[in-house]
Amino acid sequence: MNNPYQPIPAKILEVIEETPNIRTFVLKPEEDIPFLAGQFVELTIPGFGEAPFTPSSSQFEREKLEMTIMRVGRATGALFTNKAGDVLGIRGPYGKPYPLDKFVGRDIYIVGGGVGLAPLRALFLALVHEIKKYGRIYLRYGARTPNDVVYKKQLKEWEKIKGVDIDLSVDSADGPWERKVGVVTCLMDEIPCDVKRSVAVVCGPPIMMKFVTRRLLEAGFPGESIYLSMETNMSCGLGQCGHCRLGPYFTCKDGPVLTWEQIKDIEEPFL
Amino acid sequence: MIYFLPNERREKWVARLAGEFNLFLPVQIEGKIHWQKYDKGNFAIDQLALSEIRAAEPIKAFLYRPREVVATFPKPIDPAQEMSALLFGVKGCDLRGLDVHRKMFLEGEFRDPFYTRRLENTILVAADCPMPRESCFCNLVGLNPFVNRGVDLSITTFDDGWVIEAVSDRGEKLANSAKDLFVPAGEHHRARREEQRQKALGILEAQNSKKWNPELSRAIAEKTSDRSFWKKAGEDCVECFGCLMTCPTCFCFLLYDQAKAKTGADVNQFERTKVWDACYMAMYARVGGGANPRPEFVQRFINRFHCKFMHFMNQHGFYACSGCGRCFTACMGKIDIRNILGQL
Repeated sequence: MNNPYQPIPAKILEVIEETPNIRTFVLKPEEDIPFLAGQFVELTIPGFGEAPFTPSSSQFEREKLEMTIMRVGRATGALFTNKAGDVLGIRGPYGKPYPLDKFVGRDIYIVGGGVGLAPLRALFLALVHEIKKYGRIYLRYGARTPNDVVYKKQLKEWEKIKGVDIDLSVDSADGPWERKVGVVTCLMDEIPCDVKRSVAVVCGPPIMMKFVTRRLLEAGFPGESIYLSMETNMSCGLGQCGHCRLGPYFTCKDGPVLTWEQIKDIEEPFL
Repeated sequence: MIYFLPNERREKWVARLAGEFNLFLPVQIEGKIHWQKYDKGNFAIDQLALSEIRAAEPIKAFLYRPREVVATFPKPIDPAQEMSALLFGVKGCDLRGLDVHRKMFLEGEFRDPFYTRRLENTILVAADCPMPRESCFCNLVGLNPFVNRGVDLSITTFDDGWVIEAVSDRGEKLANSAKDLFVPAGEHHRARREEQRQKALGILEAQNSKKWNPELSRAIAEKTSDRSFWKKAGEDCVECFGCLMTCPTCFCFLLYDQAKAKTGADVNQFERTKVWDACYMAMYARVGGGANPRPEFVQRFINRFHCKFMHFMNQHGFYACSGCGRCFTACMGKIDIRNILGQL
């Protein structure tokens, strides 16, 4: 009988330093992890424990799995001591993917903050893979400082893709920076898509999610078209352990992406 | 089929069951009922507390272990095949726990293989509660002080013997193998049983005469923002988690990993253990970055009521509460959830 608690070994092929405290781990799991953009996996750092992360690579790239991770606590602290050649554990995928079938033919307005661009990258790559199916893809991304911007090279490449519109900001520029300065909502003064017919996708720190959601609602996005990555303690990933409860939902099973319509009645959904 | 087992043959039947299964039964120890493994040399039939209410421990511990290794790395373990267990004397309220855990562990996208195997290998023999106690309120959560579904055999105790009904095919087989001891029961046994069951229901109705709001889940939702109500309701809580640890329906667990060695060749090997957890714990819902959605106790207190009486009801059609009263029996502050829910 399949044991859902059992991780499978995944070798680290490469560790890419994105910023001083964010790294991308390129993994080769021993078995296929057939994830779709928006789903997550439980990553085991042997002996230290597990934590949930969303792959940031394309769902169409099955040979390896990339995860961009910020060092914040005990598990990620232990993870950051790992290097290429080390073996981690992985199980999943879990949760519901972005409903890409609902995105077909519509403009997609993506807003990311900090390391929140990681799961959005998986979405972005899935959209770009079949770009003709969708309307225009807008990406609005904010980081704390120019040093904290992840995927610097990729962002430059993505800006060249036809049908993609990217704008960037940093909260404060302590070095060379040619784009906007201000929190990410400063990129949202004008929203260039037909909000009633578009979808918005947001991932970032809770405080950013709160203000971005407020701005999207003001701009006229319907609640059911605002997709939010909710941060809760997704411990088992199976919809069983109870830790990730968010109102009536278990984020690991019903999310981690939920629409504003689904969570609007929950008291303080953003931590 | 329904049978009768005269008093003088009970011990023989129990001993026979113990020969076939890991037999656990409720016995009275210092005024309290506890589950105990049948011990041939040290068991007399009059120790059996079959006519009493549920034991202090919920039966979930037999199926969903308080602590269990669920994975090893990198070499996986196989969920162990254990000798079949027979729980002799489960109560109507105990079954609510099983119903909740079936929903959580077996009927979602992922099945828990450990729970699956244990449940398949566990024979359930129920016994009526002819004399509900003050702590019992199964009638308020839609249950009865007797069982006629979801078990293998159902026993009703009388002064002169037990009326036994086979409820499942497995139960029928068990009854067949005791044909030399059982005698066929008739309508008068059914009538006696019915009379005793109605009497027990009457006791429950009388002591729990204050009914809950028929739209309890909506009432809880509406009351949620009234923090002073919940603060007062939970003010005697000392956060010992006794209520949650003895609750037969609570399903929360924590997974933690322990390395086999701190250094050397085995450093990558570890064991993953699953332990019961409690949503009252302050750090329960905290995320890796440190944020906590329920830092105040009152939020965690409300969460328990939301989970059991609002979300579970809305999603599965019944309360995640068995009416067993273990929570306030264990409670140092004697917080009686009947009264809290009765005010809504």
